Amino acid sequence: MEGILFWVCGVLMVFGGVMMVLQRNAVVSAVWLIFAFVCAAGIFSLLAAPFLAVMQILVYAGAIMVLFLFVIMMLQGPVLEGERKRLALPLWPAVAIPPVAIAVMVIGYVKRNGLTSWGAPAAEGFGSPAHVAELLLGKYLLAFELISIVLLVAIIGALFVGKDERKLPWK
Amino acid sequence: MEITLTHYLVLAMAVFLTGMIGFIVRRNAIVMLMCVELMLSSVNIVFAAYSRFHANADGHVFVLMNFAVAAAEAAIGLAILVEIFRRRRTVNVDDLKALME
Repeated sequence: MEGILFWVCGVLMVFGGVMMVLQRNAVVSAVWLIFAFVCAAGIFSLLAAPFLAVMQILVYAGAIMVLFLFVIMMLQGPVLEGERKRLALPLWPAVAIPPVAIAVMVIGYVKRNGLTSWGAPAAEGFGSPAHVAELLLGKYLLAFELISIVLLVAIIGALFVGKDERKLPWK
Repeated sequence: MEITLTHYLVLAMAVFLTGMIGFIVRRNAIVMLMCVELMLSSVNIVFAAYSRFHANADGHVFVLMNFAVAAAEAAIGLAILVEIFRRRRTVNVDDLKALME
C-alpha cells in the first residue's frame, strides 16, 4: 500500500514540477506548482509526518502560492514578453548533464551499497501535532522565537522595499 | 518492492533537479522564484525522511523553520520584483542587467 502511494505521489510531484518549468504562462506554472506541493503533502503523510502534511498545504499551497498568484496578476499578466521558445545552445549542456551525471551516480551507489531500509516502524503518535509541539516549544524554543524575528524582519523589509520612495518619512 | 529511505532521497533529488533546471531555463523572474520554492520543498522531504529513519522528530521542527524561511524569502523576493517592475516595466531577467553595464 505504501508502495503504490509513494509511486503515485512521487511521480505526480516530479510531473508537476516539470510541467511548471515547461509552461510559458506563469499563472499555469503557479497552479502546477500548487499541484506539486499537494503531492509533497502526500509524501509527508507517508513519512509519518501528518502535522507537516497539513502545514505544507496550509502554508505552501495556500499562503505562499496565493502571494505568487497575486504578484503575477499584478505585474505583467500571465505570459512574459520575450520568454524563450526554445533553448539556446549554451544552455543545453547545463540542462542535460546534471540529471544524467546524477542518475549514473545514484545507480552506481545503489548497485554497490543496496537500498537503505527503514529501521523499526514509526512509533504511535510520531510526528503528530502534540509530538512536534513538544519539541518546538521545549527543546527548540529559542529557534522558534528567532524564526518569528526572521518573519518580522521580512515583513518590515518587504514593506520598506515596496513603499513609494517619495513618501518615506525622512524625504 | 519495499519502499526505503533511498527511494525518498532519490525523489527529493529529482525534485531538486527539476527546480534547478527551471531556474536555469526560465527568464521570468517570478517563475524563477517559484523554482526556488520547489528546491526548498525537496529539502523538506529529505528532512522528513531522515526524521523517520532515525525515529527522531527533530527534523520536523527544521521543516517548520524551513517553511518560515521560504515564506520570508517569497515575501522579500516578490517585493523586490514589484519594485523592479515599477522602475523598469519588466521582470525578464535578460533585460535586467544594470550590474553588467
